Amino acid sequence: MTQRITIDPVTRLEGHGKIEIFLDDAGNVANSYFQIPELRGFERFVVGRPIEEMPLLTNRICGVCPEAHHMAASKAADAVYKVDPPRAAKMLRELLYSAFYCTDHTTHFYALGGPDFVMGPDAPVAERNILGVIHKVGLEIGGKVIQMRKYGHTVVEMLGGRKVHPCSSIPGGMTKGITEEQRKEIEEMGHWAVDFAQFSLELFNEIVLGNQAYVDLILGDVYTHHTYYMGLVDENNKVNFYDGKVRVVDPNGAEFIKYEPKEYMNHIAEHVEPWTYLKFPYLKNIGWKGFVDGIDSGVYMATPLSRLNASDGMATPLAQEEYDRFYKTLGGKPVHQRLATHWARLIELLYAAERWLELVTDSEITSPNVHTKPTEIPTEGIGIVEAPRGTLTHHYWTDERGIVTRANLIVGTTNNYAPIQMSTKKAAESLIKNGVVNEGLLNMVEMAFRAYDPCFGCATHSLPGQMPLEITIRDADGNPVEVLKQFC
Amino acid sequence: MKTLVVGLGNPILGDDGVGWRVAEEVRRQLISILTPALKGAGHTVDVECLSLGGLGLMEHLIGYQRAILVDSFKVDDDPGSILILKLSDLPNYSAYHTASAHDTSLQNAIELGRTMGADLPEDVEIVGISTRRVYDFSEELSQPVADAVPFAARIVTDLIEQVIKRAEEYQRQE
Repeated sequence: MTQRITIDPVTRLEGHGKIEIFLDDAGNVANSYFQIPELRGFERFVVGRPIEEMPLLTNRICGVCPEAHHMAASKAADAVYKVDPPRAAKMLRELLYSAFYCTDHTTHFYALGGPDFVMGPDAPVAERNILGVIHKVGLEIGGKVIQMRKYGHTVVEMLGGRKVHPCSSIPGGMTKGITEEQRKEIEEMGHWAVDFAQFSLELFNEIVLGNQAYVDLILGDVYTHHTYYMGLVDENNKVNFYDGKVRVVDPNGAEFIKYEPKEYMNHIAEHVEPWTYLKFPYLKNIGWKGFVDGIDSGVYMATPLSRLNASDGMATPLAQEEYDRFYKTLGGKPVHQRLATHWARLIELLYAAERWLELVTDSEITSPNVHTKPTEIPTEGIGIVEAPRGTLTHHYWTDERGIVTRANLIVGTTNNYAPIQMSTKKAAESLIKNGVVNEGLLNMVEMAFRAYDPCFGCATHSLPGQMPLEITIRDADGNPVEVLKQFC
Repeated sequence: MKTLVVGLGNPILGDDGVGWRVAEEVRRQLISILTPALKGAGHTVDVECLSLGGLGLMEHLIGYQRAILVDSFKVDDDPGSILILKLSDLPNYSAYHTASAHDTSLQNAIELGRTMGADLPEDVEIVGISTRRVYDFSEELSQPVADAVPFAARIVTDLIEQVIKRAEEYQRQE
């Protein structure tokens, strides 16, 4: 008898973001399919539009990380025009991006990933949210989260021209610089952000690392895969979100390849499966071996944890200290346990805050020289940044007038589609034995994909925050024999 | 009385952009609703187009006494059907943008904001338009959804007028 289990977000997007689990005759997991919705036709949509429109238009692909698309498209547009923005412009872009990172990572930790740990993975779903966190840990946390987001939005608005969907980054640099008065204000907020990031790490230390059950959960086998890891690094192989080379390390932590963004097509290929529109990127020079880990499988991951694994450290002192503690606590590099991504995200939060402060105190940051006029004939360009949820690649081809003739985008979550697939399957395998479905299945599966912070639609489309799920177990005739539900 | 109308959605994702179109239509009609006398009495109506949910959306509502959200809906009704409901009714429906995979639900966000002492609308009303094509990039609405835009805009302006009338009656009673 074949059983079919469907885990489906029930209140929205029917047929999307769905997990289907097929059991074998013995009632164990035979296969699992995690389907992520794909928005279609973006490459076609941008053809015929000017390249300088891309930083504004691609902003709209995603309601969660417009800043990441703004930056990747701007860098690709720089490359299309073969123009190098002045140093101050690059710093302003990175400053905006650092503030955005602080907002995004804060939101993920406190509203999404954190509640699983702060409230406990077995807590009722109605409590596993930001409200539960503030009730348990104290009101001041909610205030701090809101304050951090406010500061992040303020910096994005000051530098990006708009609070949501910034518009100031253009081919060759920025449309405007900042005044000394603005600089001071941003510096003040940066100090607060560093304190907040340290506070968040202390909280993690106390609540998660101080609880052996959570440490065991993180270090357990359920969420462990030995894959390759990808991340942007600077000239010293330190993590960088805005610029650098793409570095990939193998499952033993040794450098496999380090390449310039423009070379990405030599290293990344995409595998197609018949059951989903979304493609599975893999390392071309290793090859696609299926949804398996190990050094012979081209599956790689690109997340906060990957960035830490793919680098030799953090470029700022406080984050570096946390980096060292991270690997010391978890038994050395690389860390393969996916749930450690939540901790890695907080270390990145601290790095982003420190970097914010470093950039805003650079004597050149108020320079009025923020734009280099493009003079070359436009052709083709590639821009890569680290989006919070993975390496983001924009590639455009244009005619001699700068009109886009072709585009290719590999967005953050896409990189992780194969690992997410593997993690959800492994979680299901651990909780479905001989036809008996453990009630913890919903939570464990949720936790498996939540670590990746996947962008299901990579658009303004959104699933409910607390991911309502429904598991239906069907017999061979398709009749439901058991239904497990979880609502927000 | 400060009222905020928010068009939610993605303007380049086909029918998903319907919230923006309705909000833009409401913005055009505001001049006939908000007479100088009403403005003099302290009534203001702001209109925004956003692609946000959860905490981000809540942050935009701070400082308003009333909010009307216009959003695309995925329900079994025919495309172009219009639903009017309160935020508290939402679990029975599925608004596209009032929740987010990357933070918390709008309901939770509002509760959080209130707990933190933020001045948030007591009433959040939602005008939803049932949609069809929301996965293909396009700036065009499908015909039945486009046809619903003036009706939905009329519903929003009626809601604004009702709110203002209620507020004035309340003031008179006081």
